[in-house]
Amino acid sequence: MFRYVLKTLWRHRTRTLLTVTGAAVAMFVFCFVGSVQEGLHRLTTGSDADRNLIVFQENRFCPTSSRLPEDYERVIAEIPGVRDVMPIQVWTNNCRASLDIVVFNGADPKQIQQTRPLKLTSGDWQQFQSTRDAAIVGRNVAQRRGLKVGDQFTIGEISVRVAGVFESNVPSEENLIYTSLQFLQYTRGLDAAGLVTQHEVMLTDTADPDRVASAIDQKLRAGAVATKTRRKGAFQASTLSDLVDLIGFAHWLGYACVALVLSLVATTTVMSVQDRIKEYAVLQTVGVRPLRAMRLVLAESTILCVVGGVAGTALALTALGFGGFAIGAEGATIAFRPSLGLAATGTVVSVVVGVLAGFIPAIQAATVPIVSALRQA
Amino acid sequence: MALVELRGVCKSFRKGDETITPLDEVDLDIEAGDFVSLMGPSGTGKSTLLNLVSGIDRPDAGTIRVAGTEVTKLSRGKLADWRAANLGYIFQTHNLIPVLTAYENVELPTLLLKMTSSQRRQRVELALEAVGLSDRADHYPRQLSGGQEQRVGIARAIVAHPKVVVADEPTGSLDTETSEQVQVLLQRLNKELDITLLMVTHDTDAAKIASRQLVLDRGMFREVGLDETSTVSNA
Ligand SMILES: Nc1ncnc2c1ncn2[C@@H]1O[C@H](COP(=O)(O)OP(=O)(O)OP(=O)(O)O)[C@@H](O)[C@H]1O
Ligand SMILES: [Mg+2]
Repeated sequence: MFRYVLKTLWRHRTRTLLTVTGAAVAMFVFCFVGSVQEGLHRLTTGSDADRNLIVFQENRFCPTSSRLPEDYERVIAEIPGVRDVMPIQVWTNNCRASLDIVVFNGADPKQIQQTRPLKLTSGDWQQFQSTRDAAIVGRNVAQRRGLKVGDQFTIGEISVRVAGVFESNVPSEENLIYTSLQFLQYTRGLDAAGLVTQHEVMLTDTADPDRVASAIDQKLRAGAVATKTRRKGAFQASTLSDLVDLIGFAHWLGYACVALVLSLVATTTVMSVQDRIKEYAVLQTVGVRPLRAMRLVLAESTILCVVGGVAGTALALTALGFGGFAIGAEGATIAFRPSLGLAATGTVVSVVVGVLAGFIPAIQAATVPIVSALRQA
Repeated sequence: MALVELRGVCKSFRKGDETITPLDEVDLDIEAGDFVSLMGPSGTGKSTLLNLVSGIDRPDAGTIRVAGTEVTKLSRGKLADWRAANLGYIFQTHNLIPVLTAYENVELPTLLLKMTSSQRRQRVELALEAVGLSDRADHYPRQLSGGQEQRVGIARAIVAHPKVVVADEPTGSLDTETSEQVQVLLQRLNKELDITLLMVTHDTDAAKIASRQLVLDRGMFREVGLDETSTVSNA
């Protein structure tokens, strides 16, 4: 009986192809939107976002405008609950929202190796630590800009040599380029000797992040520059707040895509069943049960939806995997990565929508008034 | 007890304000192995009768019993199962599934019954052989002539070895020559495979091949002799 379904779909190849393509495009967009949502979610969850603090100058947002004394490091390190402090100089080519943002983080190379969740996929740490203008590049940036070890990379006033490419289980890290702290401080136009953009604070296992954060701000109130300390996730979300709103809104686009697939496949299936309503009357006369007729129609709509949906999902995940897409603003970035969760969601949504789309035509096929359908010429 | 047994069967249709009652309290018995032809003026309810016997339509009153099963009592799903195992339906226009080959069309009813795939293949091949179309098994309906299509339709109706086969003007859309072939085929199926046949026809020649001739006129069945058949008026 399944052959009958396949042959019916094959007979109307043009219609089948158009429907499958439509479903694929919509599911492609759905997965893209989903990956943006996931990226945003990851930015504000996970131990890196939740257990690390960022100390930033009070009331400043763009990294170029936050200037903290580098030696705040010693003050912060004394506060109970603080395990380690890493002074970071940030430089970005674009303080506004952009799809091709390049963010440099300058910090002590040894400390980077020890504290950041990075794994070099090419190049080596030795080279990075011993050369002044050496940089290690996140996988996403490397993909987007086509960088590999040994390349010279220049943007604005900054010119670095790629000493390594790294991947990370924290996707937003993969949008960064790390250099040594001094290198970035002495970059022309930055004039940041003795100053850094922010301090990243790593906590002991038992410390309460929020309590430590307010202790830091309290203590530095007496210093030259007042600070605002937040969890890293909260810091990034507030930096990206405009984008966060936008992305939050984009999930409606995801729902719209699902609705689109639903109406597309439902339309095609309704047309297909109504064209062949007499065929269903014949099938039932031969002895096909109404429930079985229903299943035949559901199989038809589900095949359309799953073939299109899985193709669209696969394409989206491939594009996400190879594109290294990210959106960023003011030094914080959201990475769009493919994920198993996304693949599963895409597949499940396709199946569910396929079944739903076939529901009404399936009932039409099952309840066809046999005699009057047979009377039709 | 007769194989097919109708008692007090009524069926009426409503068309706007008007109610047409083609079948009003009709009784009928058909014995196993009978080949019954049913003639009568147009619009007297011959097709309606076949639809009731095959359970694709329901009477307003009365009972219909086929091979001991009271079909009027079965649900729609149960009726489908019952048809798959016990009833073959030959349409005037063959009504083959266009996307399936002759073989697959004939195979269809067997897919609804429990049997092994080799049994299934054997049944289909036998049925195609019986209608003389073994060499056309892989052809699609559009690649067959009208007479061949009708023969595939007949093979589909007999493949499950049903107890009763009903045919609604099986030769109605065929030319004289192919019509004769189909008549001979039906007669052979009745004689050689012992299939009980109820055939509606307007064709007096076709009616003559049956073992028993009936006329339905104004809600009444009338038995007619062979020589009388040709005098039956067919409006
Ligand atoms: N679904 C229906 N709705 C309304 N009237 C119907 C319906 N089906 C049949 N009829 C009417 O019932 C009567 C009997 O119809 P039926 O098709 O059984 O006649 P028939 O004897 O087969 O005629 P013919 O020889 O022309 O095929 C006709 O008057 C027809 O108009
Ligand atoms: Mg009729």
